[in-house]
Amino acid sequence: MAVLEADPREKKARSVRTPAAAGGLSQAERREARSPVRWVLLTVLFVVMAVPLYLLVVNSFKSQDDILNNPFSLVPGRMTFAHLSAAIHSPQYNVIGGYGFTLFLVVAVDVLCIVFAGPAAYAIARSMKRRTQLVMLYFLAGTFIPGAAVIIPVIYVLRDLGLANTVTGLIAHDVASTLPVSIFLFVGFIRTIPVDIDQAATIDGAGRYRTFWTIIFPLMRPAVVTVLILNSIGIWNDFISPQILLSPSSGHYTVTTAIYAGISQYSTDMTKVFPNLLLAVAPVVIFFLYMQRHIISGLTVGAVKG
Amino acid sequence: MTLAMMGPAVVLYTVLTVVPVGVAIYLSLTNWNGFSSADFIGLDNYRHLFDDPNSTKSWYVTALIAAVGTVCEVGLGLVYALILKGRSRGNSFFRAVAYFPHVISALILGYLWAAILGTNGAINNTLGKFGVGPVGFLFDENMALYSLIAVIVWAGFGFNVVLFVAALQTVPAELLEAAAIDGANRRQTNLRVVVPMIAPVVTIATVLNLVGLIRAYDIVVSLTGGGPAGSTQTFSYLILARSFESTKVGYATAQAVFLMVVSAVLALAVTALRNRQDQAATG
Repeated sequence: MAVLEADPREKKARSVRTPAAAGGLSQAERREARSPVRWVLLTVLFVVMAVPLYLLVVNSFKSQDDILNNPFSLVPGRMTFAHLSAAIHSPQYNVIGGYGFTLFLVVAVDVLCIVFAGPAAYAIARSMKRRTQLVMLYFLAGTFIPGAAVIIPVIYVLRDLGLANTVTGLIAHDVASTLPVSIFLFVGFIRTIPVDIDQAATIDGAGRYRTFWTIIFPLMRPAVVTVLILNSIGIWNDFISPQILLSPSSGHYTVTTAIYAGISQYSTDMTKVFPNLLLAVAPVVIFFLYMQRHIISGLTVGAVKG
Repeated sequence: MTLAMMGPAVVLYTVLTVVPVGVAIYLSLTNWNGFSSADFIGLDNYRHLFDDPNSTKSWYVTALIAAVGTVCEVGLGLVYALILKGRSRGNSFFRAVAYFPHVISALILGYLWAAILGTNGAINNTLGKFGVGPVGFLFDENMALYSLIAVIVWAGFGFNVVLFVAALQTVPAELLEAAAIDGANRRQTNLRVVVPMIAPVVTIATVLNLVGLIRAYDIVVSLTGGGPAGSTQTFSYLILARSFESTKVGYATAQAVFLMVVSAVLALAVTALRNRQDQAATG
């Protein structure tokens, strides 16, 4: 699962192994690349996937009349930055303002998730005791719980803890919800790191926390990247938790809850809908373009193994 | 020491994930209305789970989304994985094109599509210029559910493409050569050799899609708001709407517990299938 993108070495190795057959294959592949069926399917794919994004971008720069009368048109002379600028500076349900709070949530949850999940995963991975393995199963059970189904009881629990309607409460809930998959991925990875390394550190006088944070944790980079991507995108896009655990009276809006609050107010004013949606989508799409390979493999590994 | 290292994670997870499940199970056995004291009424809420037409309808909607959505997502995923499996820059680009909605919030995708399919949306306004429509993609009771499913599939099938491509790239080239030597054409090779080779991954994708779609919520909120006339109201949507808008909290949590059980059964199926696959791979 780790190899999701072209690995030139592997291809070379294969063609060295069976040179004649590999040559024949690539010819077949070249023929396949020219087949009309493939061409049609890829054109349909591109149009269907890209048109919504095209509409989102061009209509963010048009007047209401132009959006309604010529949604597909792109006339450079008639474009305006006014509506996008209005959305950026809007005092109400500001998406840009949402960036800051959402980013804060993402960073807080990412950091706390690693602080909680890291040592726990290390303890589980290095223990031979049956009891510790039961703890792993206990965490795994969490992956079966659908978020929407328990979010209401979470309100009652947070209320009893005095954390109802607070950012702390939301972060605590988000961290708890990321633990099962994060711990599972970490445990799997730590088990591939030789125990000899731990023992050497112990002989040198390092305690278990020190061994974990200074020796093992730096070796876990691939697993940490996967977990960070999985959690960051999950928290950034989350709607149910912030919407239900933080009421409007808290004054905090994430990108998704700001869009939700805003669109219910101005659903027929397309000069507000499109620019705000563009602002909401832009950071994720840019992040995706830059980190495409890591994101795709991280999300795939997370979903399949988690 | 082991205990100390696991402690914080265990406590946090217990308090905010396990305890709420316990609270949900307890509340589902009561007639609590959200304010006054709750009476224990046993399994009464569960007995009436399918009594009212709204619940029954929402299960039909949820099941249809899960079934049709999964078939389409897996089918399209396979078709595009087969034509995009080669390791080239172009293929990599098209895979990203199919995949990108997966990183965008479902809520936002729903609003975007609402702006395209709505009465005043891009498609109806364009059709209007030719004197056609408006087509009730989102306001016709019989059509809205299929529009919802189409948008869900649009947003979700790219994930399967990537999953299947990863599996296809592990199919040994020798196998394809053998099939070619035996005179199999491309369709025969794909159907008889390649697809069976990646069958375990297809099974996993199927159950992952089912488990994901049975919980559909965000995209319903933004695309249709459960309407028109409740025709796109999924089970998750109904549970959350009821918990806030009515006083039948006990009844709503019974539905939530039921959804949890259904998801758990489907998710356990993933684990069982995955274990079988692991055994097959190592054995």
